[in-house]
Amino acid sequence: MARIRVVGYGNPMRSDDGLGWQIAVDLFRTNRCPDVEVLPCHQLTPELAPAVSRADAVIFVDCEQGGTPGEICYKEVRCESIPPSFTHHLIPGALLALSSELFGACPRACLLSIRGENYAPGDLLSPAVTSRIPELKARLQRLIEERLTSAPVAC
Amino acid sequence: MSTVATSVERVPDSDRWERADLLLGMDADPARSNIFGVYEKKPEIARDGIRPRQFGQQIIERLGGKRIHPAWVVPGGVSEPLTELNRDAILSAIPEALAIAERTLEWFKGITEGFREEIASFGNFPTLFMGIVKKDGGLTFYDGGIRIVNSAGEVTANGLDPADYQEYIGEKNESWTYLKSPYYMPEGYPDGIYRVGPLARMNVADRCGTPRADQELAEFHELQRTAVLSSFHYHHARLIEILYCVERMKQLLTDPEILSKHVRAVAGPNCEEGVGCCEAPRGTLMHHYKIDGQGLVRWANMIIATGHNNMAMNRGILQVAKHFVRGEKLTPGMLNRVEALIRAYDPCLSCSTHAFGEMPLIAELYNSAGELLDQARKPG
Repeated sequence: MARIRVVGYGNPMRSDDGLGWQIAVDLFRTNRCPDVEVLPCHQLTPELAPAVSRADAVIFVDCEQGGTPGEICYKEVRCESIPPSFTHHLIPGALLALSSELFGACPRACLLSIRGENYAPGDLLSPAVTSRIPELKARLQRLIEERLTSAPVAC
Repeated sequence: MSTVATSVERVPDSDRWERADLLLGMDADPARSNIFGVYEKKPEIARDGIRPRQFGQQIIERLGGKRIHPAWVVPGGVSEPLTELNRDAILSAIPEALAIAERTLEWFKGITEGFREEIASFGNFPTLFMGIVKKDGGLTFYDGGIRIVNSAGEVTANGLDPADYQEYIGEKNESWTYLKSPYYMPEGYPDGIYRVGPLARMNVADRCGTPRADQELAEFHELQRTAVLSSFHYHHARLIEILYCVERMKQLLTDPEILSKHVRAVAGPNCEEGVGCCEAPRGTLMHHYKIDGQGLVRWANMIIATGHNNMAMNRGILQVAKHFVRGEKLTPGMLNRVEALIRAYDPCLSCSTHAFGEMPLIAELYNSAGELLDQARKPG
């Protein structure tokens, strides 16, 4: 069973919002490591909780709003019992909380993202985001390797 | 307080979990009326809400071959046949899915007694019901004829060809909404109001065609001597359909033909106009296209389930608001009941209006003089 799960999410028909999904699709195609499972998805939904609960570590990849377009951001993700307000999707912390409360495990998790600038309907990423993708992928690869060599840490 | 009315604008589909309303009550703290609140009270019910979703996603992945390209359904059939390995994997998950469907249905039937007031006022009025049925009147989701049943439970039209929908369904546009208001033309507008979806399917079908679902359908039909009218019962109908789907899945997967390699017919544009119709989970879905010689779509018209249910949802909001909204202030319990009525239909207003972006819920309370008394807004 895979120890690391990479969850890249976003809407590929809303320009920069599709970044996480695209990164995950690219990694899905190239990944040969049986310890790494890649999950491209449009939204974080409750049914991801069982898969999250079975991982040693989870790396979320997304596009983040606000700030300077193209900036790469990293943050640790903690359990947050924040319910969806009126939508189908969850935030990473809420998915972790579901994993913890329903399936008894809350793996170490982080969010890797690039700040976007265009979320209009369309299937192209903005130049600001596109130019940072190689660096994002390199950081993602380093994170995967770090997580593979480190012991599981529960939050 | 004299006559009151509320208007609800741009309500998106919700994942607020009906289980939260049903388990914690309609007056529960909105901050806890969600999956986390359900977990605190009944963790096994929260897990039972997640597992079928996971089950469904895994089936899609197995049918599609891999996770990232689930475009399995293609013009002319499907892109690749089902393998024995995937057939067996799906079959192995059926017992758990069936057990969840059974116990959720039993749980639901056990708690409905506590919602008599909601059942009586949640879209509980006469309308027509529309759905596709087989030639023998059995439940089906595609490749059948349209049946229309009136509020007395009598079949008023049967075997209507979906391709002729424009002869019996009118599409009224109202200035106050992007959503069209379809109606059954022989009854005129707005008397031709009808409902589609699980409640309608259970009202129009004579039988489901699987053992347990047929038992449950027979019990469902005993809820009322007429058609089952309250939209609260959409939940009950939906659970029977889930039970049916799992049973039917097992039937299909144990048929050797399911592994057939003949899964796709290939053809080019051979007709310039066509109508497709099926029963989507939310209800009857109609697509009508005209194409050119290169197969490019030149004209399209769609009536989706949320559109079919538009008039019934609006009338239901009025009914539930008249019953539960009191005084000059909106309270969470009042608003939740209005929302719950809408959620019973599982609408997708972003699909039906082609709106996107933020979709807040706005409820406004007016008095009989048309003066705004209160407003509640929920971010989208």
